[in-house]
Amino acid sequence: MNATFKISSKVNLFFTEVGDVTFFAIRFFKQVFTRPFETKEFLRQCYLMGNRSLLLVGVTGFILGLVFTLQSRPTLMEFGAQSWMPSMISISIVREIGPVITALICAGRIGSGIGAELGSMRVTEQIDAMEVSGTNPFKYLVVTRILATTLMLPLLIIFGDAIALVGSAIVENLKGAVSFQLYFNQVFEALAFSDIIPATVKSFFFGFAIGLIGCYKGYNCNKGTVGVGEASNAAVVYTSMLLFVIDFIAVFVSDIFFEI
Amino acid sequence: MRNSAPEKFKLGLFVVLGTALLVAALYFIGNRQNLFTKNITIYTHFRNVNGLQTGNNVRYSGINIGTVAKTVLLSDTLIRVEMRVGEKLKNVIKKNAVATIGSDGLVGSMIVNIIPAQGTAGFISSHDTIQSYSKIGVNDMLTTLNVTNENAALLTSDLLKITSNINEGKGTLGMLITDTVLASQFKQTLFELRKTSEGASQAMSSLNEMIASVNFSESLAGVLLSDTASGVKMKSIVANLEKSSEKMIQVTDHLNHLLSEIEEGKGTLHYLTQDTTLVQNIDSTMQNIKSGTARFNENMEALKHNFLLRGYFKKLEKEQRKALKKADQN
Repeated sequence: MNATFKISSKVNLFFTEVGDVTFFAIRFFKQVFTRPFETKEFLRQCYLMGNRSLLLVGVTGFILGLVFTLQSRPTLMEFGAQSWMPSMISISIVREIGPVITALICAGRIGSGIGAELGSMRVTEQIDAMEVSGTNPFKYLVVTRILATTLMLPLLIIFGDAIALVGSAIVENLKGAVSFQLYFNQVFEALAFSDIIPATVKSFFFGFAIGLIGCYKGYNCNKGTVGVGEASNAAVVYTSMLLFVIDFIAVFVSDIFFEI
Repeated sequence: MRNSAPEKFKLGLFVVLGTALLVAALYFIGNRQNLFTKNITIYTHFRNVNGLQTGNNVRYSGINIGTVAKTVLLSDTLIRVEMRVGEKLKNVIKKNAVATIGSDGLVGSMIVNIIPAQGTAGFISSHDTIQSYSKIGVNDMLTTLNVTNENAALLTSDLLKITSNINEGKGTLGMLITDTVLASQFKQTLFELRKTSEGASQAMSSLNEMIASVNFSESLAGVLLSDTASGVKMKSIVANLEKSSEKMIQVTDHLNHLLSEIEEGKGTLHYLTQDTTLVQNIDSTMQNIKSGTARFNENMEALKHNFLLRGYFKKLEKEQRKALKKADQN
């Protein structure tokens, strides 16, 4: 009986949380198109989330390309199919690995940062103070951050993909004596619009999810300083889970429209 | 909170570069699919497209020239493939070119290969239809392979029977393999054969040396081998020799016959050679003739001195002397 109660309360809590997030998202969409636009804060967030994450995403993407190619080479060589390496690596990175890995990195860096920042602002009553001073804290803090993550993540993913392909090309050049020109010729030979467009579209959803969950957890933080840590942690965990759910839906929808 | 100018610049650079990368990638992909160049559409028909899809490459003599735009099922046995190729190729591809469906590598995606045909024909224009040729597909190959496998299984079964018979020593081949006596005989034969071949080799080398030592230009052998006139003469000589030998045989036969007759006591020669009494008679006859001749000489000498015949003999002496003188004078 106790277990049933626990499960039902967990289920109840889950749906309540989903409902809260949905209302939070609706509130975002309501306010994103209404004046005043917090452009300066939006641009600052874009800089912090985009430029400041570029190094991390770039290094990760480069190593990802190197390692992925090095690990795949022996298997493909067993089948005498090493010439398929550029095609395989490019499709894997552009379609799936690049967006998901970059989004997970950003969920760790940006999502947790937003959760902690907004959580601490909530705990220290800075958000309440903003409301009192006549500033719309939701518009200033939440809308700008969600919008920034939504727009910056696709760019970060594009950079991450490009740098990963460069890393892969370096390995192919050193190990397989494949020139960079030949490598990228084969990459663009293999890629199609049906690879890039769905990946780019889903990266907007990834960015939106990172911003939304991070802001939701931080904006609704309570329980003092402990709550800040919880908000930061929950932002990363829920965002990571949500990213995979979105990825699954995106692949499913892409398959319907593009027959991938 | 204000944004500094460097931050704005960096953000602008980040956004522009990211967008440029995306646009460049889209451009290169689109360019590969001839989306940004002027294209013409050409058609071909197949019975089976073997999984050809929209977007698959179209190659002309191995060069990518376009993509498959559409595949339309016209009837239960006819599929129209619509291909989009660069407009520049209007002056390259001829109307008699042949389209085939192939695979890009062993496990690659399907492609349409356009192969230029021999002979003269005009260049294609948009919405032209070129002829097609259906190569054997993977399924057909697998079907053939299945039949081959079945045949191979039957062959293996037969081969197994044959090998088991051989192992048991049945049949000629089995005897050859299992019979040790035959093996030793075979070894001996091989040894003899080897010796023979060595002898033949030596003989050949000697013959070669002999031929090499022959002076073909001046020697008899050279004349025999190279002079055609001598050859003709030799032929006639050989023919004469043949005739002579035939006659010799006939003579020998006659002589044999004669000798056999002599031995049998027939004919005069038998008496001459075999009869001793005849020889004695002939001997005594010859002695009688000898003594008779001596007495006849005595009688003739007596006649010379007879007065009746003395004149005659003197006359003969005179004539003889005259003849001698004439001879001396000449």
